[in-house]
Amino acid sequence: MTKPLLDVEDLRVRFHLRTGTVEAVRGVSFQLGRERLGIVGESGSGKSQTGRAILGLTPPPGEVTAQRLAFDGIDLLTASKRTLRELRGGRISMVMQDPKYSLNPVMTIGEQIIEAYRAHARKAGRGEARDRALAMLEAVKMRDPGRVFALYPHEVSGGMGQRAMIAMMLVTEPDLLIADEPTSALDVTVSMEVLRILDELVSERGMGLIFISHDLKLVSSFCDRVLVMYAGRVVEELQAKHLREAKHPYTQGLMSCLPTLANDVRPLPTLNRDPAWAQ
Amino acid sequence: MLDIQNLKVVYGTGRLRVEAVKNVSFHVEAGASYGLVGESGSGKSTVLRAICGLAPISGGHVRVDGKEVKTPREKSFYRTVQMVFQDPYASLHPRHTVDRTLSEPLAIHGEKDAEARILQALKEVGLGPSFRFRYPHQLSGGQRQRVAIARALILRPKVLLLDEPTSALDASVQAEILNLLDDLRRELGLTYILVSHDLAVVAHLCERLLVMQHGEAVEETTSVALRSGQASNSYTQSLIQASQGFSREAPAPLAI
Amino acid sequence: MVGAPPFPQPSATQAWLLSPEPSSRWQARLGRGYLGWRAFTKNPLAVLGLGIVVLLILVAIFADLIAPYSPIAGGDLRTERLLPPSAEHWFGTDDLARDIFSRVVYGSRITLWVIVLVALIATPIGLLVGTVSGYLGGWVDTVLMRITDIFLAFPRLILALAFVAALGPGIENAVIAIAITSWPPYARIARAETLTIRNSDFIAAVKLQGASTPRIILGHVVPLCISSLIIRVTLDMAGIILTAAGLGFLGLGAQPPMPEWGAMVATGRNYLIDQWWVAAMPGIAIFVVSLGFNLLGDGLRDVLDPKAAK
Repeated sequence: MTKPLLDVEDLRVRFHLRTGTVEAVRGVSFQLGRERLGIVGESGSGKSQTGRAILGLTPPPGEVTAQRLAFDGIDLLTASKRTLRELRGGRISMVMQDPKYSLNPVMTIGEQIIEAYRAHARKAGRGEARDRALAMLEAVKMRDPGRVFALYPHEVSGGMGQRAMIAMMLVTEPDLLIADEPTSALDVTVSMEVLRILDELVSERGMGLIFISHDLKLVSSFCDRVLVMYAGRVVEELQAKHLREAKHPYTQGLMSCLPTLANDVRPLPTLNRDPAWAQ
Repeated sequence: MLDIQNLKVVYGTGRLRVEAVKNVSFHVEAGASYGLVGESGSGKSTVLRAICGLAPISGGHVRVDGKEVKTPREKSFYRTVQMVFQDPYASLHPRHTVDRTLSEPLAIHGEKDAEARILQALKEVGLGPSFRFRYPHQLSGGQRQRVAIARALILRPKVLLLDEPTSALDASVQAEILNLLDDLRRELGLTYILVSHDLAVVAHLCERLLVMQHGEAVEETTSVALRSGQASNSYTQSLIQASQGFSREAPAPLAI
Repeated sequence: MVGAPPFPQPSATQAWLLSPEPSSRWQARLGRGYLGWRAFTKNPLAVLGLGIVVLLILVAIFADLIAPYSPIAGGDLRTERLLPPSAEHWFGTDDLARDIFSRVVYGSRITLWVIVLVALIATPIGLLVGTVSGYLGGWVDTVLMRITDIFLAFPRLILALAFVAALGPGIENAVIAIAITSWPPYARIARAETLTIRNSDFIAAVKLQGASTPRIILGHVVPLCISSLIIRVTLDMAGIILTAAGLGFLGLGAQPPMPEWGAMVATGRNYLIDQWWVAAMPGIAIFVVSLGFNLLGDGLRDVLDPKAAK
């Protein structure tokens, strides 16, 4: 295996609150190549905080420590603010859950994509940036890129907004994309469409992808490898196609507690949380 | 128990006129569980809100227990029909304890014996008496949803309207709530109308269901047919497909 | 915040208050109050503000015991006029040989009276108009808000002047004038809060239990509006004290010989250069009490308004 794109070792995120210190992420380690990695967990498992910590977006009063947090050989913990800024949005991008809150409401979608592009490719002229933006909108399967270009975020549907968001995040051709619940605000049929676009872009451009979600079924069908998180730790790591052979009772519980169309299980098995899992 | 004929819901007038529900009809037997499935904007939640009076009935008939509903609803209507909302973080008053939340419906309807009924309601939804004086911020999402179910059941309604009752919850908590709803229906002989975007959840809880799209009924089917993958309608088919997870082989079926 | 150990061992009372499983209505309520109190005492300035306000109330209640002289009857006009502060007359005496300290002490009663009356009149009006208009919407909202706009358009001092001119000078008329001009902002705040609450699921839920509109407004909407209103009223108190003092200064509020602080400043104006204490002492009292209410209001905002926190 070649040098990993992202190398995380013993990542910890702590929040110092008035009531005491809460450790949201407690020693997460993984390596990411040019592949699709899924991080699955329930609310409070620390999956989103893991994604944010990699990008340096941990909200205050959070504190991030790690033995190693390196992107393509660059240590993200000691890197200067300037280097980080250039990496963020340039070589590492993030797609958030709800396009409504991540797009600027007073700028057209096209302008936002152009701005994202020119922030990292300063030499690019306006004309070139415009061409890139239009090409990108086409790449995310917008039916009429020229029209969408001039629309404001509130004038498009959720699915179109999320695709615009993806276009904006991918216009700089990042090496790593972190997608935090990119489809959970969308309808199922729309989210399949968005995932298909994401999938194509990842495999065509050879990006690394971290896909953070609560949906085990979705992640296992979309990703190559899955990390299952519980209480701030990775309890199990496995190949997505071997999900059925999961060993950890938490992963097994998560899979069996979902109702399925195929089997009618009644009552549904519920999770008996073992305090030992959190150790 | 519940009979909906050509229900129409229209919001606004003139250029802002939106037909949220167009000519939807269905019939639910007493003690049955009926599902409304669709994506956002399909009008499924609006049907529910029109039944209980949170949305206007612009046309057609809504009959509960054989009687046409009146607008505004009578007080007795709410003893027959109750609702559980999607987001347990938004459906409980942030400044009211569980006790206050549960005693409010009893006080409104002049019920006696509040003390015993509140404890009974908590027990039914699997919460102990220690939860009685907690505020919502002291409860987890699943516990909040249990309180919301207890509130809906405390007046002993016959029909329970469930608006995506588990979509804001974690998968493991969803299983607990689905089991609870299943048990309660059997024990109390309730009639359910369940709205959800999740086919598996609807198939689990309901016998019959109506697939909706753009405010119109697309297809009425049974969960048995759904499980065997039978669907005459291409939209239903694509919903079944999507519920199986992501698939690289399938061609892009729908334009957005 | 002196001498407080960083992590005191929770006492039995504390454990009872903070119990995650309260066993009665009162325990739940007290526990909530205790958490609020803990957050409040974290802010030393807010505690100072509370101290000032409590002091004002105590001084007003025990004025008879605290004041060494009568606030109205003066001493010997030949020898005791305009004496500087001394051991006998802490704040000096005024032009009618009255002890200024005693007058300031008794003046606290008038100030407190004004504050309480305005708060009792303006807050409920504002709260009711705002919540009803926000909750019902439609033409009720339009009518109520236009009325609010009309009252909002009156300049406070000018209306007070007109009122006093029509009804005669006096502290009650001044209070009515102030109250009439203070409720519209409260109505606007309450309406804005109500608009965000109105469409929430928990209001829909209580509607579906068959609750009447008054029940929803009073039992479910008002409790959520009240905290932001308390903050605003407390912060406004400083302005109300100043307006009352201003009216007194102009001779339109409390009438002589009542020891109203504003009127006292007005008489001291004539001796400002040589006998500064006549105007300065009541002036300091006005300043301190206004400051106290402002600090208290800021502290309450930190505790009651989660949106403003951090």
